[in-house]
Amino acid sequence: MTSDEQLILELQQGSDEAFTELFLRYRERVYGFFRRRMNDAAQAEELAQETFLAVLRAAQRYEPRATFRAYLFGIAFNILAAHRRKSVLNPTQPDRAPDEPSDPSGTNPENVIWVRQAVERLEAAEREVLLLREFEELSYEEIAKILRAPVNTVRSRLFRARMALREILAIAPRNLRGRK
Amino acid sequence: MTSSTHPFEQEEVMAYLDGELSANRAVSVAAHLRECTECAALAEQMRGVSSQLSNWSVEAAPASLTKNLEAARADHALVKETKRAGFAGWLTEKIPSFKNRWVLGAAGAAAGVVLLFALTLPTRRREQHSEGWAQLAYTEQLRSAETAPSKSAAGEVEAFIAQARPSPPPSPEPTQPMIARTASVSLIVKDFGPLEASVKAVAQRHNGYIASLNSASPQDAARTLSATLRIPSAQLESTIAELKQLGRVEQESQSGEEVTKEFTDRAARMKNARATEERLLDVLRNHTGQVKDILATEQEIARVRGDIEQMEADQRSLQTRVDFATVELSVQEEYKASLQGAPTAIGTRLRNAAVEGYRTVVESVIGFGVWALQSLPTVLLWGLVLFAPARWIWKRLRRPAVSQS
Ligand SMILES: [Zn+2]
Repeated sequence: MTSDEQLILELQQGSDEAFTELFLRYRERVYGFFRRRMNDAAQAEELAQETFLAVLRAAQRYEPRATFRAYLFGIAFNILAAHRRKSVLNPTQPDRAPDEPSDPSGTNPENVIWVRQAVERLEAAEREVLLLREFEELSYEEIAKILRAPVNTVRSRLFRARMALREILAIAPRNLRGRK
Repeated sequence: MTSSTHPFEQEEVMAYLDGELSANRAVSVAAHLRECTECAALAEQMRGVSSQLSNWSVEAAPASLTKNLEAARADHALVKETKRAGFAGWLTEKIPSFKNRWVLGAAGAAAGVVLLFALTLPTRRREQHSEGWAQLAYTEQLRSAETAPSKSAAGEVEAFIAQARPSPPPSPEPTQPMIARTASVSLIVKDFGPLEASVKAVAQRHNGYIASLNSASPQDAARTLSATLRIPSAQLESTIAELKQLGRVEQESQSGEEVTKEFTDRAARMKNARATEERLLDVLRNHTGQVKDILATEQEIARVRGDIEQMEADQRSLQTRVDFATVELSVQEEYKASLQGAPTAIGTRLRNAAVEGYRTVVESVIGFGVWALQSLPTVLLWGLVLFAPARWIWKRLRRPAVSQS
């Protein structure tokens, strides 16, 4: 198994197999990145695709001092930010249709829906830090770089987000509190 | 709870769980957590929040993502090629970008470009791309055949199972020993100026990178530089050889840590955990019991999944350590070496002697000044105190002499 960092260096040298492998490794996670942040599955798919194309086009810009994961989700975050700016200017394609049920597939078990709704109730800045930490598994420093915020700010936002989430989840209709 | 009753802020307890504390700090927090029930409870809540969040899985990425990307990528390869060819670039610029309805638009334009350039351009590259994607499609089939759950039953439970993230195929057994290599090199250099750039250039030439770099230029000692380089293991020898060109080698050592066992052990545990997950998913598929039990099973699956992902992450970072050797480089300027008694050029020694001589003069002048400033008040005080009696004695001694004359 070759490391991600090795693979992107190979991609810089023009290796197609390297890109294929990176895509296979991160397809679900990049799709998940957008899917957790928007209700429109088709939109999430389009942005995920844009992210991988950006990796392909800008492979030369990768510097090996960062992990590939941080680099990749940095790109994804920028693409999401650009998309959100566009949606504000052009509200005919809203990020979250108000009438749409929070769970688009309608088949999630209840506790998944509950967690999702709880996260949606967090403040936007705190929610972003929380998602980047829990799902993209980035370090405080990597998150700070992506959000262009000091590491201390990231840490305290993350703390507030988790405490708030604990409060929200504590008033669950059923007790779904975490394992032992 | 306040920080006055606990030696750590709550945020630090969280940072500890996230692996964000320095080793020393982490050890003290861990010790405190064993003693303090309040902080331990906080840690437990934090873990609980993370564990609940991990329930939020997302449906698998649609297959069209792969297909569309494949098409867009062929398009990208074409753009690259025609740009390289250096003519009719404007035409390729007109190919709609990948964002909106690119499939239809680009397909037409791309077809035209292919017709125009198929005869004038080497086709090797295009073939490579399509091969890559053929392989991708094949791998994909394999993976979905392995991991896709059966769609025989319907309902919530089935949906949950469908959403359980598919496990990647088990890590391949290493065929050769896995060794995490480290090397350290100490150098003495004459010319410190271009050093940092040279070190960076060496790392870059070997597809490595600089993990950390510190340089110090103290006022009256030699300048030093210490750097940690991560270099693809296969290039370690040639990198060290190049680094040694930068100056005189004072010390050099290499070591390798055999991590094959750690790797295979963890691979085995991952395999077991995946089997457990699979069994639990089976239980869930065939379950007819109460909602409460289903939820318990789901939580157990989430827990196993968390363990698997943790192990996967550890495995990846171990792999990185094997792929990239670590080189600890420390460099000193020649000046300090001469003070330590190593033989050096006469010019350097004369210059050092001159500097030392000058410094001695300056220091003796400063030393006198300091002494004078320190003693002056005392001298003045005693001068004032003793002035009157001294004058009286002086007059008494002179008076007899005057009366005698
Ligand atoms: Zn405490």
